[in-house]
Amino acid sequence: MGHAYRAVGWNRQKKIYDRTLGLGLIAYLVLFVVVGLLRWPEHSEETLALRALGTGALLLLHVILSIGPLARLDHRWLPLLYNRRHLGVLMFCLALVHGVFATVYYHSLTDGNPVVDPLISVLSANQRSDSLAHFPFEIFGVVALAILFLMAATSHDFWLANLTAPVWKALHMLVYVAYASVVLHVALGTLQGETSPVLSGLVGVGVVWVLGLHLVVGWRERGLDRPTTGSPSAEGYLDVAAVDELKDGQAKIVTLSGDRVAVFRNGDEVSVVSNACQHQNGPLGEGRIIDGLIVCPWHGYQYQPRCGRSPEPFTEKIPTFRAQVRAGRVWVHPTPLPAGTDVEPARIGAEA
Amino acid sequence: MTETQAKWFLIALGLYLALGLLFAVPFLLKGAAKIDGDAVEGSWGFKLLILPGTVALWPLLLSRWLRFDAAPVERSPHRDAAGEGR
Ligand code: HEM
Ligand code: FES
Repeated sequence: MGHAYRAVGWNRQKKIYDRTLGLGLIAYLVLFVVVGLLRWPEHSEETLALRALGTGALLLLHVILSIGPLARLDHRWLPLLYNRRHLGVLMFCLALVHGVFATVYYHSLTDGNPVVDPLISVLSANQRSDSLAHFPFEIFGVVALAILFLMAATSHDFWLANLTAPVWKALHMLVYVAYASVVLHVALGTLQGETSPVLSGLVGVGVVWVLGLHLVVGWRERGLDRPTTGSPSAEGYLDVAAVDELKDGQAKIVTLSGDRVAVFRNGDEVSVVSNACQHQNGPLGEGRIIDGLIVCPWHGYQYQPRCGRSPEPFTEKIPTFRAQVRAGRVWVHPTPLPAGTDVEPARIGAEA
Repeated sequence: MTETQAKWFLIALGLYLALGLLFAVPFLLKGAAKIDGDAVEGSWGFKLLILPGTVALWPLLLSRWLRFDAAPVERSPHRDAAGEGR
């Protein structure tokens, strides 16, 4: 890559985003406790603070899980996607304070070790797993918190590069396990506590929302990975698109050799590259060509259309494909060339 | 979990994390830069941010460090078909 790691890659937009997020959160917590004190005077401030933190974390978790599918449905959500990790880390911090606070508040003994005893108590609390009303709901919170910790702790780019992307992704897919765990934590917790059924209802709505959103996106994208078929030309090229389908500076995404490729038009030239950005697999075909370079829509990594290499001093490179333009159609050879291989672009209008 | 199980679990976890903390010192000072060129001039803020993950995932990093691996490039069907990584 060639960028020395910094703690946080802040820019103006991200600062505004983070400030809005922070202020919004503080407003939520304060409002929750104040309204709570007026509405349920029998509850202590501690209980209310605990619930404010827990529900705040849960709310953020819903936002986080919604951004991905929303961004796929409508590109205007993309700016939220780029800053998702700050949301995630903030959510973890809230959940952590909630968990630590609950552990200390409900599990401290008057005379005992202030750290070890509460931990043992949380882990071994409520051993009556035989009845739903006494099921240890806190342990689900602990499991969720452990997963959220791993995700927050590995959110820096360093981890993506060094754990390797498949491991990192698998780790971050655990967010769904964490989500299920939190839902159980809250569902069982409210069942046992004297909290109003409103919360259980809201969590139910949340689950339906998250599931529904993921299903809708899955349904909409079901056709996208259908491999390109049709009879190959004598040299083995496949017909992937009509020239007229390609807008200047943009790409059509098709599937060849088991993965997506981006067929870019740059003026009267057609260049084809593997669709996955080397940074974090951003969809290059949803990006544009700016100043002669393909720009990844996720974080702006650039690639030369001809050879799939990032401009100096960067060293990323992606596989390229050979293309031909014949009789108003674009033909692509499905065999990928090694990343960074220079390919003469096919020319529109100069057909053989 | 019974209380005894919880106790042993906490002891094991504590030991694991203590080892992680010990490992983190040389790793953040030298090892991170060895396995990832971008970490050579990593700021102190960067080091602080990757500390918790280092303490939690130290066995993975240790094995990378021992093998002196450079950060790997992710595999994909296209990269495999083009004969990379073999
Ligand atoms: C060590 C981990 C955790 C512990 C020990 C813990 C403990 C508790 C306790 C004791 C309550 C009941 C509070 C009350 O109503 O009096 C509670 C409620 C709750 N927790 Fe947790 N929790 C943990 C982790 C989490 C996590 C990770 C989340 C979400 C991301 C979460 C979200 C909630 C929510 C939404 C409630 C419901 C608040 C309400 O009853 O109004 N908790 N938790
Ligand atoms: S995925 Fe980050 S720039 Fe492409």
